Amino acid sequence: MIHFEDATRTFGNRTAVEKLNLSVGKGELVALLGHNGAGKTTSIKMLVGLLQPSSGQVKVGPFVVSENLREASRLVGYVPDQPFLYEKLSAREFLEFVAELYGLTATEARSAVQREVERFQLGAFQDRLTESYSHGMRQRTVFAAALIHQPEVLVVDEPMVGLDPQCIRLVKDFLRAYADSGKTVLMSTHTLGMAEEIADRVAVMNASKLVFEGTVAQLREKVPGVLGTLESLYLALTNESVTEGNVNGDIIKISSSQAIEH
Amino acid sequence: MSANLESESSASDYLDQIERLPTHEREGQLFWKLRLRESRSQLRHLFANARMRTSLVISLSIFFWVGLFVLFYLGFDFVVGQVGLPGATYHAQTVHFVFTLFFMSLQIMLIFSSGIILYGGLYASQETDHLLTMPVRDSRLVLYRFQEALFFSSWGFFLLASPMMIAYGVVVTAPWYYYVYLPWLMISFAYIPCVLGAITCLLLISRVPHLRRIVVGIIALLVVAVAYSSIWQTLDINDADLLGAAWFKQTFRRFEFTRGEWLPSTWLSNGLLEAAREQTGDPGDLPWFQSGKYLIVLLSNALFLHVVLLWVGGTVYRPSYYGLNTRQARETHVHMAWIDRLAEKLLWFLPRETQLLIVKDIRLFRRDPVQWSQFIIFFGLLMLYFANIDRFRQHRQDISVLAWVNIVSFLNLAVVGLILSTFTTRFIYPLISLEGRRFWILGRLPIERDSILWGKFLFAACGSWLPCAGLVLASDVMLRVSIQVIAIHQFICLLLCIGLSGMAVGLGATMPDFREQSPSKIAAGFGGTLNLVLSAIFILLTVLLTALPCHFYFMASESRLQTQMVPPANLQLWLTLGLVGVVMLAAVVTIVPLSYGLRAFRKLEV
Repeated sequence: MIHFEDATRTFGNRTAVEKLNLSVGKGELVALLGHNGAGKTTSIKMLVGLLQPSSGQVKVGPFVVSENLREASRLVGYVPDQPFLYEKLSAREFLEFVAELYGLTATEARSAVQREVERFQLGAFQDRLTESYSHGMRQRTVFAAALIHQPEVLVVDEPMVGLDPQCIRLVKDFLRAYADSGKTVLMSTHTLGMAEEIADRVAVMNASKLVFEGTVAQLREKVPGVLGTLESLYLALTNESVTEGNVNGDIIKISSSQAIEH
Repeated sequence: MSANLESESSASDYLDQIERLPTHEREGQLFWKLRLRESRSQLRHLFANARMRTSLVISLSIFFWVGLFVLFYLGFDFVVGQVGLPGATYHAQTVHFVFTLFFMSLQIMLIFSSGIILYGGLYASQETDHLLTMPVRDSRLVLYRFQEALFFSSWGFFLLASPMMIAYGVVVTAPWYYYVYLPWLMISFAYIPCVLGAITCLLLISRVPHLRRIVVGIIALLVVAVAYSSIWQTLDINDADLLGAAWFKQTFRRFEFTRGEWLPSTWLSNGLLEAAREQTGDPGDLPWFQSGKYLIVLLSNALFLHVVLLWVGGTVYRPSYYGLNTRQARETHVHMAWIDRLAEKLLWFLPRETQLLIVKDIRLFRRDPVQWSQFIIFFGLLMLYFANIDRFRQHRQDISVLAWVNIVSFLNLAVVGLILSTFTTRFIYPLISLEGRRFWILGRLPIERDSILWGKFLFAACGSWLPCAGLVLASDVMLRVSIQVIAIHQFICLLLCIGLSGMAVGLGATMPDFREQSPSKIAAGFGGTLNLVLSAIFILLTVLLTALPCHFYFMASESRLQTQMVPPANLQLWLTLGLVGVVMLAAVVTIVPLSYGLRAFRKLEV
């Protein structure tokens, strides 16, 4: 469903993302990992239409994002790292507005709002103005908005920042269940434990390049001598790849076909 | 090939979802619904939680409107008395000159303000970033943001122009259709420069995103230069020739560029003048029809430009957004500037921790363009005005001129104080609230909490005193007031700076709002409004307490008038009492809020 094809994005002389090739299929949950400034958010912004690739392309289903922006946007639900809410609207009003912008009728919008209110336990505060919400309440409302039109693709940028343990459990269970229902989930995160727990595959970016793509088991094979958690593997990989990248620019990569075979 | 086939078949899978996306009109309806809901909620909030501020804003707006109406009524009454009623040749020429000049100036301001507001709405807004990830048409998004820019840039135009137009209608006893045409003429006129500003903004960001500020700055400077030189040439004349026939003809010619037939401001002026005049005996002469033609010209141009805006928005907006957001980020290296070192040296007498706190606040101030740019604009405009009030130099011996000089000098002092009070409310009052989320740093430092508050007070008082003293001195020098008056003004200015800073810091610490991160919203809350109102009362009391005795005392001495009713000794006593009263008032205004603030700040838990 998601295809980055040689996608490159530069900011003046600086390359933020270099020739990114990454695909995420239906029913898959892929965690995008990387240091700050590695290029994760830039990649996600190209996917949701907030940035255009300098070269290459990004596709959502059959649609090239930069050419069929409205069509691609209809298939995507996006939870940004700094979510936006209208301060003078209640969660219910905000969700109805978003639902109708995605083409739901007023009746459909009302039932979709009810569904998401129940899913994210927004009932107690759905009619209060969002300006009075805590961070957790805001994040849950944003999740509900991203899912109001039941998108084929869910893109989540740093979903766990500032959430309490109960919320984290709720979001983790939901993301896994959403992918299991046949939808596509791409999640950028620094929470390596969560990526290890719920992701089908991980994609690691370092210094604007994709340095690994595959399962955690494949990562273990790729980084011999390092046992234990994804965290230790990730740290070993990113340290190693920085060195290699500086010497000859090689990318450690396992192709998606290999990953699927495994 | 197989991939293409797969893509094609997949596209049809989503056809149902794509086809259900809202139409252009439906998108528009949804945005209007959103806006209505937000406005309703905002109004409910204002009347429930900010009654004082709302009442104050409404009352002041009504006061301002009525004041303008009276001013314009008297002005037009004078003009009609001098040049006759509509229909008279000189009436048409004079009023046409005034209208075209007035609307031309507003037209330029509308172009700038709508362009700048639209820039903020389209390129620097979190809401727009959010909407760009949704299936909203770019042209709709531009229109949605433009409607906001139109509202925020043109409300001032309506506030200024409506009393003027209604006053004119009343003075010339305009027919009923003048008032029917009036709102439509004004709305369709305001739309045109606002659209032009919006299109210019989009094209500018699209073509030269990295030079946008320079281009806008150069154009603004050119406009100011042309306006200033025109005004200068008009007023640079002997008093005897001012308002004479030759002067009028010369001025009329000088501003000919404001009466171009292709200018919307000219269409509006013509439309209004036609609607206001009486019908002549000629049955073919129909003023309502002539005015209607100008209305149609304005409306059709506004609608045409509306279509152009939609097209430009749909074509240019998204690429320009990408262009602006993919520029190379400037790396800013900050270091200890000379101004910080100078501040440290000037504050040598203070404890080291207070010095550091003040230097920190100075750094935050100079690195925040919102603060210093507003400071420069307001104080720059005042300086420009003070530099041009030398018309009183002539006729120095005339007692009425002397009286005016004295009154104007005190009014200028009050204006400086009022401008300063808006700055202390907008920038000093929120300082403590803004420390809220960073308070763990200051709160854990081994320094007295009182030092933090004293640091902010000294920063505000010292920082505001120098520019205010300079402005007041400039006004006094231009008005050539006596050295005693200069000394008194400087003394009052110092008291105002201390009092206003003490009040803003004290009230800010007494009523902090740690949830809000926007200083403008903190200043717009109850505490900020209270601070502004109390500041205005303090300024007016201070100026009145000194201006009246000062006025009588110096008038009596300078004009050598012997007042039998009030002996000079009594006048001196009044002046002394006034000054003592002002010192006591300033002490109360500084000490009471600061002591409350200090008490609240010591107990503060974040």
